[in-house]
Amino acid sequence: MAEDPRLTPADYLDRFFDELRLEVRSNPKLAARLVKALGGNVVFADEAKADVANPYALAASGSKSRFYSVFATMKPSQVKRVMRENNLATSVDMAGKNVSQLIDMMFERATSKVSERRSSVF
Amino acid sequence: MTASGVQVNTLTSATAAASEGSQVQRMAVDWRSGETRRTPAVMSAIANLKGGVGKSTTTVMLADGLSYFYGMTVLVIDLDPQANSSQMLLTERGVQAASDQGKGAHHLLAEFVAGRPASAAPFIMPNAVSLEELRVAEEQDERRGWISILPSHPQLRLREMGLEEDWYSRTGTPTSLAKSLTDYFRTAFAPLETLYDVILIDCPPHLSPLARAGLALSNVYITPTIADSVSTWGTKQFSEWIGTHVAPDLAERNFVLITRFRDTRYARQVASDLRDVYLKDRWFGPTIPESVHVLNAMDRPAYDSYNTFRGKYGGVKQDVRRLAERFSDFLAQRTGSTWQKIRD
Repeated sequence: MAEDPRLTPADYLDRFFDELRLEVRSNPKLAARLVKALGGNVVFADEAKADVANPYALAASGSKSRFYSVFATMKPSQVKRVMRENNLATSVDMAGKNVSQLIDMMFERATSKVSERRSSVF
Repeated sequence: MTASGVQVNTLTSATAAASEGSQVQRMAVDWRSGETRRTPAVMSAIANLKGGVGKSTTTVMLADGLSYFYGMTVLVIDLDPQANSSQMLLTERGVQAASDQGKGAHHLLAEFVAGRPASAAPFIMPNAVSLEELRVAEEQDERRGWISILPSHPQLRLREMGLEEDWYSRTGTPTSLAKSLTDYFRTAFAPLETLYDVILIDCPPHLSPLARAGLALSNVYITPTIADSVSTWGTKQFSEWIGTHVAPDLAERNFVLITRFRDTRYARQVASDLRDVYLKDRWFGPTIPESVHVLNAMDRPAYDSYNTFRGKYGGVKQDVRRLAERFSDFLAQRTGSTWQKIRD
């Protein structure tokens, strides 16, 4: 792409960062990936949590309290979405269960899958 | 319940599981006489010498489709040490728990090694059902389709290798071992043939003695393949080996399925060539698309997790229905029997 002679280098890069900021605000998954790549810790708004929370990664961290602290603040519909999208439960499995029961099921199944699939050698 | 907390055996024996369902399963109707009669199970190998063509996925789709739409009692025999169809039906935890309870093909192989009488029933998991509709019907004592499994386990290949080393050190050959295993399994599975409608044998993508025994036991051969050049060539190798060593009339007994289909001009051309040129004398099933729905359907959340047929297969549910219909047509042509559809 040719450089625009009317822009300073700072203006030129600002355009790029402005676009990135806009995308990050509307795309929590991309925001989470960028934060992860940079190695930082951030707090996501409640409505974005269901998009970025990874039950397998949380279960693999070994901290049950951290797992519960992430999901306990979510609405039932958000918890169900996370479970469905991560193949941790079907609609049949979740029918009639309250949030607490759902999180218990999610933790038990995510922990089980991580232990089954992670090599014990490395 | 096992120590790991997974309940893997809700019935006492595979024989009991199959016979309980048989009252509603005897739906085979003789084309010629019009009489309803129980026909021996059709032993169907799902096999291709090429790996990664969807053998295990086809096995599970067929088991679900035949049990759901036709109320068939299906036994899956997983002879692939990768244990993929076992994992898809039982989950990883379920496969391990089954093994811990003495269930699985590797335990049956140990019986062969020990020279004990051939009987497969004690090693079968009677319940490998994940569809909610089948579970509910069972709970209401109205069984309408069921799936049992002789699961595999990675131990299977290790035990087979040990057997091979011992066999060959005593001047045995791969062919003589394959024949002995075939004879042993034939005896072991004989009592089950009247209890099941279809026995699906998921074969590994190589010709180990165990794989050869699975092929030799089968009446029909289901060949999943991908629409690309290497898979087409692999299908030729498979046809030639089976046609030469196991089934000279392979063309009549072969059901071909194009799987993991990505709708490109190239793939359409290869699929067309398979149908019209290379395998034009075979039965073809529906083309199964490469789909995230298929991947999700094969990842059971937990051993105690159930899903409706629609929920499990989502966007590919019509493909699974067509697969079951087409395969039952193929079986009708092969056996002279038909099965009534019990669900749409």
